[in-house]
Amino acid sequence: MLSLGIAARFLRKSPAQSILIAAGIAVGIGVQVFLGSLITSLQSSLVDQTIGHSPQIVVAAATDGRPVTYTAGVRKALASQQQITNTVPQRSFSAIYRRGGLSAPLQVVGGDLPQLDSIYDVSSRLSAGSARLGPNDVLVGKEFATRYGFAPGDKLTLVLPNGTTTDLTISGVFDFGSSATNTAMAFVNGGFAASVLRYGADQYSSIGSQLSDVFASKTVAASLAAEPALHGMKVTEWQAQNTSLLSALKSQSASSYMIQFFVLVAVALGIASTLAISAVQKTRQIGILKAMGMQDRRSGRIFLWQAFILGVVGAAVGVGVGLALIASFTLLGRHNAALFPIKPQVGFTVLSFMVGVLVASASSLISARRTSRLDPIEVIQNG
Amino acid sequence: MAEPLLEAVGLGKTYGDRVKTVALRDVSFSLQPGEFVSVIGQSGSGKSTLLNLIGLLDAPTTGRVMLAGEDVTSAPRARRAERRNRLIGFVFQFHYLLPEFSVLDNVLMPGRIAGGRTSALLPQAKEALALLGLEELEDKSANDLSGGQKQRVAIARALMNRPALILADEPTGNLDSENTKTVYELFRRFNRELGTAFIIVTHDRAVAQQTDRILEVQDGRLRQDVRNPYVDSTVVGSAAAASSAATVVAG
Repeated sequence: MLSLGIAARFLRKSPAQSILIAAGIAVGIGVQVFLGSLITSLQSSLVDQTIGHSPQIVVAAATDGRPVTYTAGVRKALASQQQITNTVPQRSFSAIYRRGGLSAPLQVVGGDLPQLDSIYDVSSRLSAGSARLGPNDVLVGKEFATRYGFAPGDKLTLVLPNGTTTDLTISGVFDFGSSATNTAMAFVNGGFAASVLRYGADQYSSIGSQLSDVFASKTVAASLAAEPALHGMKVTEWQAQNTSLLSALKSQSASSYMIQFFVLVAVALGIASTLAISAVQKTRQIGILKAMGMQDRRSGRIFLWQAFILGVVGAAVGVGVGLALIASFTLLGRHNAALFPIKPQVGFTVLSFMVGVLVASASSLISARRTSRLDPIEVIQNG
Repeated sequence: MAEPLLEAVGLGKTYGDRVKTVALRDVSFSLQPGEFVSVIGQSGSGKSTLLNLIGLLDAPTTGRVMLAGEDVTSAPRARRAERRNRLIGFVFQFHYLLPEFSVLDNVLMPGRIAGGRTSALLPQAKEALALLGLEELEDKSANDLSGGQKQRVAIARALMNRPALILADEPTGNLDSENTKTVYELFRRFNRELGTAFIIVTHDRAVAQQTDRILEVQDGRLRQDVRNPYVDSTVVGSAAAASSAATVVAG
């Protein structure tokens, strides 16, 4: 451990230089931790906003418009998938709202409100009215209500798929944060939807499921498609329906990796050049140590240890800096609805710390090699 | 006669690839354990080159160096480093202390390089410091010492591993006359009390007169290798001081 002791002493005796190198590592790792967590949280927020409140796997009849029967076998097959967190059978149909010369299409989803809530979370996202889905109730979106001047308690006349009309009472107005959804979606009672579609008690338009890991949808869908109970049914998953979003997420990840890579390269170059200067500054001392019999490898390890110590200290401070940045961002987010919450990524933070130490250590290789090759006579002869 | 501690056989050193400068040619001599020898010569005569070759700091262009019976000329760098650490202590004109370390740490360093634990080495390091009257200074930084104190610390460090041979290159070159006298008295004392052999490079004939044997290097050649009949035995108290009259063995 002599090399470690000498390395620590060299660092202590050049505090300004040591602090500068450690600060360089800290900034790099801080950016790394913040950026990594930011991108992961941003993606998670995007995914959540896009598909968090909709089924990620949908089981429907192979032929469009035909009902799917929610048998005990189907229930069992869905329940056997550990990734599935909740399953909601629903009946949906298209309807048209007409007033004067205007007409607006609506995608009407029928079901049991508590079950619908488990996916759409309608009850907690009401902007007006109450969360109620009686046989003649309907919940409409905020944009739809605003555009046509509806308020809770008003009558809404819809043209149903069979051409007949029906009057429903608006019990509440929801706001899903998406203008398209708020304009074109409505929720009705499951029994009412069954009567419109003329479905039996166990017949539904589709069975939607949500997953604990949304990116497992491909595997779960493939596994479900192979289930005998689902024979003759069609299993679709969100990734196949959202290729543009996935492509955007991948591009975002790639650009994030690029930024992180170049931050690390900049950190590595900074450490390597500063350590190289330090190695030149310490040439005399290394020569003296070698004249006293210190082995080449051991003398080279002095700079490896220096870099390792700087890496550990710098990366630890960097993790602190990164977490502080995340905390500041989250604090700002409380007063700014446009910002999303950043969740510190523990695994990524630990990885960043290790990468910081590794990059710092690797940056010392040139100095270590140079030191290792130094001949003591070069120092002794030159005074 | 005991096995020589050191044998230089036909040592030569040439510097440069395109323009060749011959610093040392065909130098041969041997050194018995406990000898007290000086190497004299003009500046640029090759005496420091000779010291660097026999101290295993540099490799000869021709010839070989036998240390404690082992031909170390073409030994791997690791072996040469190990031999330097175990068998040789160096005292240079510019003391070469490590400024980042305290006096005690500097003295401990050769022992720590040899693999010793600090706790086990402490008594020996403190003893070395006591021999040189440096007990009070052990916690001081090497940078805070006077020139004479620094050289005494360098001597204590050279003694740390109780080497068989101490090589001193102009050890008093930067010291005043009083410190010069102190340093030579210390060398003599350790030579007598510890049986350590000394080879002291100097350009000062007065200094050389205090050693038992004088090697004179001129233009890279060993011109003289004489026993010194004039050594002041009251100062040095060496048995070798009473040795035979000067004998030219090389030229």
